[in-house]
Amino acid sequence: MQWASKNAQAAYPGRIRIHPDGQDMEPNWLFAKRPVSEVRPGDHAWLAYSGPEERDRVIGTFVAGALRSEEKVVYVTDEPAERLPGLGPRTRLDLCALTERRQLRVISHEHACLDARGRFDPDRMLRVWEREVAEAFDQGFRAVRLTTDHSWLLEAHGAAADLHQMLGCEHQVGDAVSPSTMAMAICQVDRHACAPDRLAALRDTHEVLVEVDPEFDDGVLRITRTFEPHGLRIEGELDAARHGVFAQELAQVSRPGRRVHLDLSWLGFIDLGGLHLLAEHAAERTTAEALVLDNLQTDVKNVIEMVGWHRLPGLARGRDRAPGTEGVF
Amino acid sequence: MSQSFSHRVLPYGDVDEFLAGAVPFLTEGVAAGDRVVAVTGLGSEVTLREALGARAERVEFVEADRWYAHPSRTLADCLADAGAADGRGRRLRLLGEPAWTGRPPLEVLEWQRAESLVNVAFAGTGAQLLCPYSRALPAGVVASSRKTHPETVRGRTVLPNPGFVDPWDYNAACDRDALPPPPPGAEEMEVRQPDLYWLRLWVSDFAQLTPLPEEDVQRLLVAVTEVVTNAMRHGEPPVVLRMWVEPGELVCEVGDAGSWRGGPDVGLVPPHAGVGRFGLWAVRLLCSLVQIRTGEGTTVRMRLRLPAVPSGTPVHSNTA
Repeated sequence: MQWASKNAQAAYPGRIRIHPDGQDMEPNWLFAKRPVSEVRPGDHAWLAYSGPEERDRVIGTFVAGALRSEEKVVYVTDEPAERLPGLGPRTRLDLCALTERRQLRVISHEHACLDARGRFDPDRMLRVWEREVAEAFDQGFRAVRLTTDHSWLLEAHGAAADLHQMLGCEHQVGDAVSPSTMAMAICQVDRHACAPDRLAALRDTHEVLVEVDPEFDDGVLRITRTFEPHGLRIEGELDAARHGVFAQELAQVSRPGRRVHLDLSWLGFIDLGGLHLLAEHAAERTTAEALVLDNLQTDVKNVIEMVGWHRLPGLARGRDRAPGTEGVF
Repeated sequence: MSQSFSHRVLPYGDVDEFLAGAVPFLTEGVAAGDRVVAVTGLGSEVTLREALGARAERVEFVEADRWYAHPSRTLADCLADAGAADGRGRRLRLLGEPAWTGRPPLEVLEWQRAESLVNVAFAGTGAQLLCPYSRALPAGVVASSRKTHPETVRGRTVLPNPGFVDPWDYNAACDRDALPPPPPGAEEMEVRQPDLYWLRLWVSDFAQLTPLPEEDVQRLLVAVTEVVTNAMRHGEPPVVLRMWVEPGELVCEVGDAGSWRGGPDVGLVPPHAGVGRFGLWAVRLLCSLVQIRTGEGTTVRMRLRLPAVPSGTPVHSNTA
């Protein structure tokens, strides 16, 4: 099945390799990790959210972004429109009008993906989505954003057979969305809803991992909120030209009684002033609020070791991410 | 702590003179429960072990070439050891016989400077440092030992050293001579914008043409970024970066037209943990050697040792 299909996938900037050490015997999956605002037609994206804050920020941006432009939203959920993530009164979107002109389609599970006996029916969901995409095409919408939260399936079932059914469903969605020039989908799952290996299996049926939009990105430095663990991911290069913005973002996530984790897996360079800034920030915090440096790269680690960890009190060395857990943990 | 910091020179002409000073120093430390470390060449270690007998068990012997690897790093590590020993209610007692031979003159100068700075850096610790100097060493090395140690040991006698020079005066004298100008073929770039991303690309492009190991390239990038950041903030334009290769070394120089007077605050002494910035001091740790000249313009010249490469390997050269 193909929807409004025209051409094949574009190249992904920022593809990530899930098993960088090559030690793992699993296939070397390549994922594109994309901020939600950069999800584009043809993307079959995966969001394993840690909690409501992360989900609301990603899905809220996804949904509200479409409704503010000429794009249609198809949301399969039993919640009413006004309770969807990111569609609170602050968005000032006229949900009645949007529903009226069928730009916002909130479809209940019963009408979207359950069979007559109330069981999950992937084929029906595919048919419903296909119908909605075709209708959007006729209505003249530029694109269609599809999303649903699969967590209820995982919580309700839990047998391996159902995982196979879900995997089959995801493959079908992927086959339909990937070649499309109109449709894009985000499959949401509460990452606490099932075991990590099952979560990883589901993730592997997607080629895009979606996340919040970065707080800052100027092509040299990118700062992105992380939710579990709570903190920031710092990518690129940090030097005096960007200390100000970094300090500001660090202050934003520093809350009383909470540790702040900095994921440095893609930090290629940090200057001495940056280390000093970290140390100063850490010095003002208690042990329970330590600044934890995760996934330190060798280059950065060498510089810290040369200066000496003991000269950076309050900075704690965190863990290195286990291979293959991107988008799962 | 019963005794405050001491830093003494033990000049010796033969083994007996060496042992007459070194053995009481070490055995007193063993008796007092100090952390006792002997940094020597292999020959001296054998001699000392024989003389100490069973007490040698309580002495940590360290190979001099390994200990005296890098003036700033050794100073920092040793100071950390002294602090750790003090923290446990012990003292660090170190017999340190630097390996002077086979080192290039610039490095010898840095070791002599370090000998002098020890008097500033360790003040306030309980460390006991004794430095044997053979009279067979080059005359300049022996002469400098009298300027850098406040006291001299002969057997069990300790005498004040009349030739001792104030460490900061000694340090200033080390930097009295102007640096030789960069070679005509040096690569040169004026730094105008505060975003140093492009500057790092430029530096690493140059470094990639030399056999400098990747780890050292990264250290160089951190060092250059720090020095250029300082020049942009506190110096005067033009801020100019130059790079070239000398035999066995990659050299990277940052100059500006400011009139910084330098003085003691040029990162020679390790900062206390958690206090103050570690800027220029860390730059010294990151490079093999750093030369600073101030006054009419500021020049910071960072040198990184290049590993020997087999002949025939293409290497960036400033004469090319």
